[in-house]
Amino acid sequence: MFYRRAGIRHTSYRAERQLWPLPFDRALVALVFALLVLAPLYLGDLYLAGYLLPWIIWSTAALGLNFLMGGAGQIHLGYGAVMAIGAYTSVHLVRAGVPLEVAMIGGGLASAAIGIMFGAAALRVKGLYLAMATLAMQYIVDFVISHVPAISGGTQATIQVPTVRFLGVPIVGNTATYYMALAVGTVVTLFMLNARRTSLGRALAAVREKDYAAEVIGVGTLRYKLLAFWISSFIGGVVGAVLAVCYLRSISPDQFHIELSIQLVAMVIVGGLGSVLGSFFGAALILFAPIVLNNVIGSLSDTFALSISSDLRAHVPLMLYGALIIGFLLWEPLGLAKIYANVRDYFLVWPFRHARR
Amino acid sequence: MPVLTGASGAQAAVGGPALRCTDIQRSFGGVQALKGVSFDLQQGEIFGLVGPNGSGKTTMVNVATGFYPPNQGRVALFGEDITGWSPHRIARHGVARTFQNLALFKGMSVLDNILVGRHIHMRPSALATLFYWVAAVREEVAHRRVVEEIIDFMQLQDIRYEPVEIVPLGMQKRVELARALAAEPRLLILDEPMAGMNQEEKEYIARFVLDARVERDLSVLVIEHHMDVVTAICDRVLVLSEGAPLAQGKPREAMADPAVVAAYLGQGATAGPARASA
Repeated sequence: MFYRRAGIRHTSYRAERQLWPLPFDRALVALVFALLVLAPLYLGDLYLAGYLLPWIIWSTAALGLNFLMGGAGQIHLGYGAVMAIGAYTSVHLVRAGVPLEVAMIGGGLASAAIGIMFGAAALRVKGLYLAMATLAMQYIVDFVISHVPAISGGTQATIQVPTVRFLGVPIVGNTATYYMALAVGTVVTLFMLNARRTSLGRALAAVREKDYAAEVIGVGTLRYKLLAFWISSFIGGVVGAVLAVCYLRSISPDQFHIELSIQLVAMVIVGGLGSVLGSFFGAALILFAPIVLNNVIGSLSDTFALSISSDLRAHVPLMLYGALIIGFLLWEPLGLAKIYANVRDYFLVWPFRHARR
Repeated sequence: MPVLTGASGAQAAVGGPALRCTDIQRSFGGVQALKGVSFDLQQGEIFGLVGPNGSGKTTMVNVATGFYPPNQGRVALFGEDITGWSPHRIARHGVARTFQNLALFKGMSVLDNILVGRHIHMRPSALATLFYWVAAVREEVAHRRVVEEIIDFMQLQDIRYEPVEIVPLGMQKRVELARALAAEPRLLILDEPMAGMNQEEKEYIARFVLDARVERDLSVLVIEHHMDVVTAICDRVLVLSEGAPLAQGKPREAMADPAVVAAYLGQGATAGPARASA
């Protein structure tokens, strides 16, 4: 079809290592990015603030978690807590009059500092034990936030965020917030894409695949695991800041419970471990599948005038949602990104299927 | 260049043996895997470590590369005491090794696997990763050139973009050797580089090891079971049996030692059959 590799010859290592070596991929990325940038012009407020904006924010969070889980192979069940630390730190900094640019970095640094503490404790253990240690982090952070009035203002309290400016532009209204989230998302995406072709990403992949072999070529595994925790937590903190300060504009402890962490892990796994594109797919599926299913069931019962009890009406979408995730994992354990890659591989040689790609 | 006098500078010690192990003892629980092994590996030498299965060869290598610190004894690298150092620190001091059962990084291409071998010469950082176009691309290209030289040397051109797990076993062994060479080590340790290979593949690896020694100024420690290879490429061998050194010297002489013959063939055997099987 449009994916054509024939005749594309790179004459320098630099050109060969570019992010999208195929012109078609580059055009596709440019098109999608242009659509995202221009979205406020053609999308209504409901779709922009209700769908696109949360999708961008949660995709960015999923990217940060994917850096740790897919990039370095360390599971983290407390990523919601990491975001909470960044969110609360930045909210308090903003309320104290610190500019948003600094508050975001501050939120990231606070998340990274506390995240790395739990990471260091967790690094002595692997696999399921690491999962338990990060789960403990989730509960400890949850508890501390809601029970220390200086942080949360009390278990039921909601802290309001004053209007903030970013680089002189007031972040009010959906459009400004959207561009804010898009900018942060773009930076994190570029970082993730580049990580696959630099020594940092390779060292982390080495630690993920075989830590003793990584040691023997000079990669200090402890140091790199900690670095992965640090970077991932930093991204989580910054995304938490964007979420609380720019999007929600208010913050309460119940926004960052274990459900959020589980959802983030689901986004990463359903999307595809280690895949940048997969993080976007995974976030979209986890966010929108319940809404879409709900609407589909609703319209079905309306058109066919089915007498579905309200209980069933409320639960069927959730059941289908669960089945959908299980189905995706059974059918393609490598996630939505792999499904996309399969389709792409098919078209790379279409219609000459006998030609190996 | 200023002359270094302390024992800390690697330069100062050049001239001593590449690897000196003195009275190495190591036990796991009640099993004493190494019972006082000592040897000197001279610079530029290909030194063979041979012995029956379970004689402690791989344990010896794991002690030398820092995976198991010895219970007793010292390990010195080019005159510098490295006993108890962590493996990645030893790697930075010029030791590279391959593994008995391949330890390549799945999910990465052959090229990326060899590029990881350059790790100790690169400066990985998160900021350089984010600003790849200004901060990392020159370093990446420079190291890519070095890796391409090694790819040429090891004749891996055809498979450089293949995912490493789909490459045939003989080639995987070669990729692992290439990854070790990419670190530009002074001491190369090969743990059964020819296990499971046919005659042609064995000859290729033997040739690569001999060439690498000359072109890259290497000292080589090799564990190998194929006696034809050992006698062909090793300058000296150390024979281990049940964790204790049996004989040391030129390959043919060491293998003809009565104690070695007894360890391989059982008590009462004569030297004749041993030589014939070698």
